[in-house]
Amino acid sequence: MAGRWQWLHRLGSPRWFYATTTRWLPWLAGAMALLLAVGTVWALLYLPPDYQQGDTSRILVVHVAVAGASLSFFPLMAVAGTVTLVWRIKLADMVAKNAAPLGAWFSFLTLATGSIWGSVSWGTWWEWTDSRLVSMLFQFFLLLGVISLRAALDNSATAARACALLSIVGCINVVVIKYSVQWWNTLHQPPSPISMQVGSPNGPEFWVATAIMAVAVYLFLALSLILATRNEILERESKAQWVRELALGAT
Amino acid sequence: MLAELQFDSLQEFLAMGGYAFNVWSVYALFAVFVFANLALPLRRRRLILRRLAARGDLAQSPAAAEQSGWEVSTVGEELQEQQREQKEQREQEEQGTKP
Amino acid sequence: MSRVSAAAAFCATLKRDLLISIKRRNEVLNPFMFFLIVVSLFPLGISPEGAMLRQIAAGVIWIAVLLASMLSMDSLYRSDYEDGSLEQLLLSSQPLYLLVFAKNIAHWLVSGLPVIVVSPLLAYMLSLPAAGYPALVLSLLLGVPVVGMVGSIAVALTVGLGSRGLILAVIAVPMSVPVLIFGTLAVQNSLAGASPVGYLALLGAMLAAAASLAPVATAAALRIALHG
Repeated sequence: MAGRWQWLHRLGSPRWFYATTTRWLPWLAGAMALLLAVGTVWALLYLPPDYQQGDTSRILVVHVAVAGASLSFFPLMAVAGTVTLVWRIKLADMVAKNAAPLGAWFSFLTLATGSIWGSVSWGTWWEWTDSRLVSMLFQFFLLLGVISLRAALDNSATAARACALLSIVGCINVVVIKYSVQWWNTLHQPPSPISMQVGSPNGPEFWVATAIMAVAVYLFLALSLILATRNEILERESKAQWVRELALGAT
Repeated sequence: MLAELQFDSLQEFLAMGGYAFNVWSVYALFAVFVFANLALPLRRRRLILRRLAARGDLAQSPAAAEQSGWEVSTVGEELQEQQREQKEQREQEEQGTKP
Repeated sequence: MSRVSAAAAFCATLKRDLLISIKRRNEVLNPFMFFLIVVSLFPLGISPEGAMLRQIAAGVIWIAVLLASMLSMDSLYRSDYEDGSLEQLLLSSQPLYLLVFAKNIAHWLVSGLPVIVVSPLLAYMLSLPAAGYPALVLSLLLGVPVVGMVGSIAVALTVGLGSRGLILAVIAVPMSVPVLIFGTLAVQNSLAGASPVGYLALLGAMLAAAASLAPVATAAALRIALHG
C-alpha cells in the first residue's frame, strides 16, 4: 500500500496543497474575473433576445451555468468521501466539509434563478411539473442533511467518516431521485404550452455565452472551495510550524 | 454578427424589454453570491491568521516574536496573552512541585 | 467458544430482536398509533368529502407510513448501543452486514408489517376505490422495507447522538422520495385502469438493490459511529 499510493498521500498533504494553491490562486482568480466579465457583458448586452422569451433568456445564461455547477457537488463529495474512507486522507475531508455548504448555496441560487425565470415563462414562481427544479430541491435537502450531520457530531474524525459515507449514499440517491422525479413528471402532463427544453429556440450565440459563463462559474466554484479549504487547513494544522511561521509573517 | 449591441439606449437596457425586475434580480443575486463566497473566506482567513499569530507568538521565545515584527494590536488579545502567561506559570509551578 | 455458522448467527439475532420487541410492546406500538392518528387527521384537516379523499388516499397513507417509520427507526440501535450489545455485534466474528440485515428484518416484522396489515382499513376510511387496494398493499409490502433499510443507514450514522429524532428525519426522509413516488404512482395507475405492474417491478428492483447494498452501508456506518 505504501508504495503504490504514495503519490496520493503526497497530493493529500495539506502543506503541499496550500503551497500549490498559493501559486495557482492569482491565475484562477484572473481567469475567473475575465470570463465572468466577458460572459456577463455578452449575456446582458450582446445576446439577441429570444423570440419567445424576450430578454428573459439573459437569465438562463446564469441559471444554466449555476445549475450545471450545482450538479457536480454530490459527485465531488462522494469522491472525496471515498478517499476519506479508503485512504484516510484529511485533505479530502477538508474539501468535502466546505463543499457541502457551498453546494447548498449553489442549489439555492439555482432554485431562486429558476423560479425568477419561471415567473415569466411559466407564469408561476414554482412549478412541480418541472422535474429539474424538484430534483434540485431534494438535492438541496440532502445537502442540508449532510451539513446537519457534520454539525451534530462532535468528534471531527467520526464526523468526517460519517459524512463521507452519507455523501456516497446521497450521491447514489440524487441520481435515483432525479430519474424517479423525471418519470413521475412525464406522467403528470406539464400544463405549460411553452417548451421547457432549454435552448430549443436558441441559436449558437446563446450556447457560447452560456458555455463561457459555465466555465466562469466552475472557476468560481474551484476558487471559493480552495479558499475555504485553505482556511480549514490553517485551523486544523494550527500547531504545525509552517502554519505558525505563515501566521507570523502575514500579520 | 456576434458583436451586435442589442440596446439602443440606456433606458432600453435598464428596462430589459419589460422584464427588468426578473433579469436584474437574477444578476444581482448572482453578483452577491459570487462576492459573498469569495469575500467571506478571505475575511475568515484574516481572522484565523490574526488569531494564530497571537497564539503562535507565545509558543516561541519573546526574542523570536520581536524579530517577526508582531505587535499586540488589541486590548482583548493583550488580556488573553496575560491570562495565558499566568496559566503557563501556574502549570510550571505545579510541575515543579510534583517531583 | 464454539464456532457458530453465519446462518445460526443470523437467526439468533433475528430471534433476539423479536423477543426484545415483544417485551417492549409500548415502544413498538407508539409509532403504529402515530400512524393511525396521522391518517385520521387528514379528513379533518382537508375535507371529509369522498371525492377529495379518494384522490389523496394513497399519498396520505404513504406519507404517514414514512413518518411512522422514522419514529420507529429512532430506537432501532439505541437500546443496543446503550446496553453495549451493539459493541458485541461489532466485535463478533460474523459478517456485520448479515446481522444488520437480520435486525432490519426483525424491525420490519414488528413495525412495518402491522402498518401494512391495517392499511386496507385506513384506505377504506379514506374512500379509496376497491381497484386500488392490491396495488396499495403490494407497493407497501415492497416499499416499506426499502425505507427501513435505507433509513437504517441514517440511524446508524447518528447512533451515538443524544437527541437525534429530527436529524434522522432530515437525513432519511429525502432519501425515501423515489419509494413514495413509485408507491403512489402504482396506486393511482391502477385507479385509472392501467396496470401497476411496472411500478411494482421498479419498487421490487429498489428492494433488491437496498437489500444487497444498504446493510453493507449500515454496517460501515455502525463501525464509523462506534469506532470513529
